[in-house]
Amino acid sequence: MSGGPAVRVSIESSCEKQVQEVALDGTETYVPPLSMSQNLAKLAQRIDFSQGSDSEEEGAEGEPRDREWGKQEGEEEEGTVKFQPSLWPWDSVRNNLRSALTEMCVLYDVLSVVKEKKYMALDPVSQDPTAGKTPQVFQLISKKKSLATAAQLLLKGAEKLNKSVTENQENRRQRDFNSELLRLRSQWKLRKVGDKILGDLSYRSAGSLFPHHGTFEVIKNTDIDLDKKIPEDYCPLDVQIPSDLEGSAYIKVSIQKQSPDIGDLGTVNLFRRPLKNKAGTQQWHLKLEAAQNVLLCKEIFAQLSREAVQIKSQIPHIVVKNQIISQPFPGLQLSISLCHSTGEKKNQRTSPEKPSPDNHLYVLEHNLHQMMREFHKQQLSSVVMPHPASAPFGHKRLRLAGPLAYDKAEISSLQQSEGLLEKIIKQAKHIFLRSRTARTIDSLASRIEDPQIQAHWSNINDVYESSVKVLITSQGYEQICKSIQLQLNIGVEQIRVVHRDGRVITLSHQEQELQDFLLSQMSQHQVHAVQQLAKVMGWHVLSFSNHVGLGPVESIGNASAVTVASPNGEYSISVRNGPESGCKVLVQFPRSQNKELPKSDVIQDTKWSHLRGPYKEVNWSRMEGRNFVYKMELLMAALTPCP
Amino acid sequence: MEAPPVTVMPVTGGTINMMEYLLQGSVLDQALESLLHRLRGLCDNMEPETFTDHELVYLLKGQQGNPFLLRARRSLSHPTSPWHLRYLGQPEVGDKSRHALVRNCVDVAASHTLPEFLNEMGFRMDHEFVTTGHIFRKGAMKVVVSKLSRILVPGNTENTERLSLSYLVELSVLAPAGQDTVSEDMRSFAEQLKPLVHLEKIDPSKQRH
Repeated sequence: MSGGPAVRVSIESSCEKQVQEVALDGTETYVPPLSMSQNLAKLAQRIDFSQGSDSEEEGAEGEPRDREWGKQEGEEEEGTVKFQPSLWPWDSVRNNLRSALTEMCVLYDVLSVVKEKKYMALDPVSQDPTAGKTPQVFQLISKKKSLATAAQLLLKGAEKLNKSVTENQENRRQRDFNSELLRLRSQWKLRKVGDKILGDLSYRSAGSLFPHHGTFEVIKNTDIDLDKKIPEDYCPLDVQIPSDLEGSAYIKVSIQKQSPDIGDLGTVNLFRRPLKNKAGTQQWHLKLEAAQNVLLCKEIFAQLSREAVQIKSQIPHIVVKNQIISQPFPGLQLSISLCHSTGEKKNQRTSPEKPSPDNHLYVLEHNLHQMMREFHKQQLSSVVMPHPASAPFGHKRLRLAGPLAYDKAEISSLQQSEGLLEKIIKQAKHIFLRSRTARTIDSLASRIEDPQIQAHWSNINDVYESSVKVLITSQGYEQICKSIQLQLNIGVEQIRVVHRDGRVITLSHQEQELQDFLLSQMSQHQVHAVQQLAKVMGWHVLSFSNHVGLGPVESIGNASAVTVASPNGEYSISVRNGPESGCKVLVQFPRSQNKELPKSDVIQDTKWSHLRGPYKEVNWSRMEGRNFVYKMELLMAALTPCP
Repeated sequence: MEAPPVTVMPVTGGTINMMEYLLQGSVLDQALESLLHRLRGLCDNMEPETFTDHELVYLLKGQQGNPFLLRARRSLSHPTSPWHLRYLGQPEVGDKSRHALVRNCVDVAASHTLPEFLNEMGFRMDHEFVTTGHIFRKGAMKVVVSKLSRILVPGNTENTERLSLSYLVELSVLAPAGQDTVSEDMRSFAEQLKPLVHLEKIDPSKQRH
């Protein structure tokens, strides 16, 4: 800078005073002439600094441009000083000092500007390739950092999504639980106790008096492992039933007998199958129904055992553990047992049972259930509201008994209520009696071919009474021999037999009685048949007796006899038929045909030849014919002379 | 004619020593439906029953002491059912913390000639009224929601005039004396009927003043 070219400055003074302003009246105001220093300043203003700085810049390269204005100041000074160059021997020193000052000033200004931070801030710029390794490491770190941030953001988002999906599922399960609960609510009684939901599976609201509380708990089954596959039968709602109601139970009623005189009483062989999962029914529903069944079975059994202990009977009922044993008839044992099996055990137990003969009385088991429900209903309906309303609760009969002056009989007639056990024993007796009657009739029918027995059972029976119509006929002669028609009314203890002619005979439950009665009826039938046949054949009935007082005594009933005479009176046939002794047929020949008879002197006249001769027994077993009546017909035909 | 002397003593002892635990309240006619609805939900599962009863209150005045009071009631809706004769004792003072009013109570079913019999005994009818309403049952508890009507012509139950625009609600239990758990049950049941009806222990002897 010190060696730079000097600026050429020409100085001249103005010739005249300058007009400053012309007033409106034309008077001119002149600017007063400048003093020496004023003039200098004015001249200095006219210097074109930019030109000078350009030339200067070549020397001071690399200097930032922003100090230009600072230089301006210095230049101005320079301009004034350069007025007399080389006048001063310290010129170079001065120049150097001046430039140093300038530099300092610029530096100061720059620093002050930077320090203010109002207009500009200093940032490190590292475009310099020579910056070395440090910035690269820094870059790496910053890159890593930003990547980490980005990753974190992504992770956060993913987590959020995941959570919402889980929540959704959770919600859905929750909703499922609620809908299941609603379904449960529509079928079972529920109530909320604390934070638990309890349900009632007892029959109490239906009139049961069984003290078992029968409470089950509803469990929310929503926290299952999401990673695992959800099982197909998954249900968000589960029920917990009391442990003593788990599994399955049934009441088994069977009749054991010492003598194998009756066959299998069970009509159908129903094996207890595990409950099939029906489509559309929930698991909890099956579970609850099974538990309710167990409860009902327990109630039935409890009721039966209580009655068994209370009721006085000739042969006391025995209650042992889960079995009640009673003796309806001598030699017969009715056993009612409660079979309760839980879960897994059941499958193992039923399989060996299967081959053994199943002597369940399903009808009775069913009836027990039905009677229990009837009992429930009765309980409900027996509680009637009092009228007038102020009267206390209680049975109506108690309120009626006093004012209406009931006597003991009337009260007990109102009170009488047969227990479950009594009813079921009566039913068992009836079933037993019926099946034994059927068996007796069947065995007689198969044993005895002549005459035939037909039994017509009525389809519709009462639980305590059923009836059968017994016809005794001879094959081929059904139309003419229908004398014996019996109506057997089988009750609980006895059988009432109603004859066709209105006679009523009451038989006890003993099998032998019925058998003997039927045998005697069959023997009577044969004699009746002869009588009927004689009418058809034109023979005359000479005598007829159902109960013959003569001859050997029969062990069963009485023998019956008939005597018929041929149309012309020559022959007569006598038949004696006893249930035990069998039939005996005698034919009486006319006297004339009998050569063996000694001629009597007294009866010489021919008219006496019409007197009947002696009887001769027919070898009946050697007669032709497939049955008794046919044989008789043949015999009659043989003895009837041809016209 | 002078009434025969009677012992004005509550009937006690024997098997008939029963106590009536009672809570009373009332609802306006407009609120009846919602109360019945609530009761149907709370009470035993039975067919809701209505009743119409005719009650006659008989007095026997002795020479000294309080008159002896008996209530004879018959059902107008079930004319064949027996009459009901009832003696109600004074409320027991006893335990203040008890939630229900407790009083001695004797219930007798009677034949249809009860009014004549009471007249012969010297009782005189004090007043009579007809009550109609609904009866509910919850275990041993009896809830009677009834409207009382005044009889305009004595003896004619057809011609009546209702006493108020509200229904009387009574919750009562018959129990042997000293069973205070009963009143606990009653209180919890009454709680469940709030705020439809507030059942309270109301002493009739204090009501009169």
